[in-house]
Amino acid sequence: MLLECMMNGHAILYTGVTLAFWSTILIVGICYTIFDLGFRFDVAWFLTETSPFMWACLGIGLAISLSVVGAAWGIYITGSSIIGGGVKAPRIKTKNLVSIIFCEAVAIYGIIMAIVISNMAERFTGTTPETIGAKNYQAGYSMFGAGLTVGFSNLFCGICVGIVGSGAALADAQNASLFVKILIVEIFGSAIGLFGVIVAILQTSKVKMGD
Amino acid sequence: MAEPRSSSRRMLMAFFAFFFAFFYTGSSTAQVPVVLWSSEGLPALAPPAAGHIVSTDQLTAYLTSAFGSGPRTVLLFLQDKLSKDDFTVFGGVFGNKQDSAFQNLEAALQSSSSSVTLPAFEWSGSSAIPALLQEELGVSPLLVDPDTLSHLSINSSASNLLLFNLPYCTSVHKSCKEVLHDNDEVIGKVLTIMKAKKIPYTAVYTGSQPSRVISETSMSNQPAGRSLLQAVVPDVKAPIMFNGTGGPCIMLWAQNLSISLSSTAAWIDLAAETPTMTGSMCNSTNSLLVLNYASGYVLSFNMIQRFYSVSARNWFTLESVQLQSNGVTASFSGRRAIYAPAEYSYHCQTVSSIGDALLVQNSTNVNASQWRLNFVDFQIQGFSLANGTNFSYASDCAGFFTAGIWMGLLTSLLMLLIFVYGLHMIMQLNTMDRFDDPKGPSISVPQSE
Repeated sequence: MLLECMMNGHAILYTGVTLAFWSTILIVGICYTIFDLGFRFDVAWFLTETSPFMWACLGIGLAISLSVVGAAWGIYITGSSIIGGGVKAPRIKTKNLVSIIFCEAVAIYGIIMAIVISNMAERFTGTTPETIGAKNYQAGYSMFGAGLTVGFSNLFCGICVGIVGSGAALADAQNASLFVKILIVEIFGSAIGLFGVIVAILQTSKVKMGD
Repeated sequence: MAEPRSSSRRMLMAFFAFFFAFFYTGSSTAQVPVVLWSSEGLPALAPPAAGHIVSTDQLTAYLTSAFGSGPRTVLLFLQDKLSKDDFTVFGGVFGNKQDSAFQNLEAALQSSSSSVTLPAFEWSGSSAIPALLQEELGVSPLLVDPDTLSHLSINSSASNLLLFNLPYCTSVHKSCKEVLHDNDEVIGKVLTIMKAKKIPYTAVYTGSQPSRVISETSMSNQPAGRSLLQAVVPDVKAPIMFNGTGGPCIMLWAQNLSISLSSTAAWIDLAAETPTMTGSMCNSTNSLLVLNYASGYVLSFNMIQRFYSVSARNWFTLESVQLQSNGVTASFSGRRAIYAPAEYSYHCQTVSSIGDALLVQNSTNVNASQWRLNFVDFQIQGFSLANGTNFSYASDCAGFFTAGIWMGLLTSLLMLLIFVYGLHMIMQLNTMDRFDDPKGPSISVPQSE
């Protein structure tokens, strides 16, 4: 019976990896606790010893890549509907490109933010937490947070616009008067990507990296 | 009849087993096997122990006891060369009994009422055995061959010694096996003739010299004992201990306590000198270890212990390390990096003010601004020394993962996660089969435009 439930090979693999990961964490944690070595689990050490550059660059990378994933996903969903619906109703082709443009806008937001954030990354001399200084740590973490913010916002915005656009294309193929109404839904969906951009700008407004 | 046969069979097996076993022992002493069997009785002889070489005296004693009672007819089959290895090689002992070149010999041993096998008899000369038998029986050997034997009349009331010379493998026309087989045929023929003549006999099969001598290398050159290969572990010097009230209070151990008074001056290792500890003190919150060296340097370590509420335990830090020379004092702070729970000691391979500095100079004296410290394999404990003269568990400055390893792990695991997510999405793409109709006509793609 277990074999029937786990017929999917992917499920077995993911279950196995998750199990291995969590059991490692659990066993290591238990050993540290038993031997009174819990003091070696030092989050502050981790946050101060890892370089602010890593955090900044992760933020920049995630900003662009997650935005692009959102845009791509949305375009893929909308595009297949437009192409499919356009076989029987060729008139929908031109009008529904607007949905594609809304998805693409999300990717534009991502790349703009990535460029803005990467311009804030400056060189600093300092190897110990004291010499690096609080401002550099703040800069690193802010850039990471901003990148994450804009990335995830654009990811979900892109998917949302894509699904709505797909529905719009198919409705338009049925009945041309439906398109404009559905477009309003799409505009609301597109706004959330913009929110992400605004918040990210706010996060990085006080960033000053360097000596 | 069955019992003697089974015992003879067992002796035959033992005979071959001994030969096989002796193949590995090898001895530089020349030896020949001697096989005796008789149609009448032979006194029993305990089989010699493996490796034992029967000496001439032992055989003489045995033959005296065997031939003592009355006249005997002895048939001596003297092969040019014989060794126990010949039996191993040609005797069909590897499960191939049908290939044995000694079939008549085996049959004779089995059917005789008693037989004696000596796998190793000390060889001292080619005429040793004939001479021995001649001495025992009191008659000189008579050289015979099977053809003349049939015409010979033997007087069984007197002792007779009939000598049959058998060749060994020297001829190039015949293989060794054939030669030995022919010898075996001769033995068989002779025994048949003797049986036909109804004369009781004792037969001896041996060689006048050994065919193979395996020289043995002397093992006495090698030492028989064992010696340990582990290198001698050098003694570890004792840690510097300061005794407060009731036992040691502060302990310090370092391989090197090197100091340098300028960036170009040579390093002076203070650990090679013996310090005095005047000025040291320790109480429940402060420990101060002052090391006064004869060369004029004073090195002091100041540690404090406090309760930290977030982690809810006591931690100690090495607040400062002070170096004093010629009235000038330099102070190095170890507060940031050198800390450990108060129950444990602190250990680090390199504690220095240069390179990856754990000690940061915070004195304002201009004269001392170039002074440097470098402690190698450094371990210190200022509190909770309840363990007598041993350090407590050493909280090491090096953790399991370094900061770099953490950064690498974080980044690569993140990318791996993204990759696996994408891979999962791709792997669940399926070909559309909604409009497949297995019973319908298959798609034809016309070749012409």
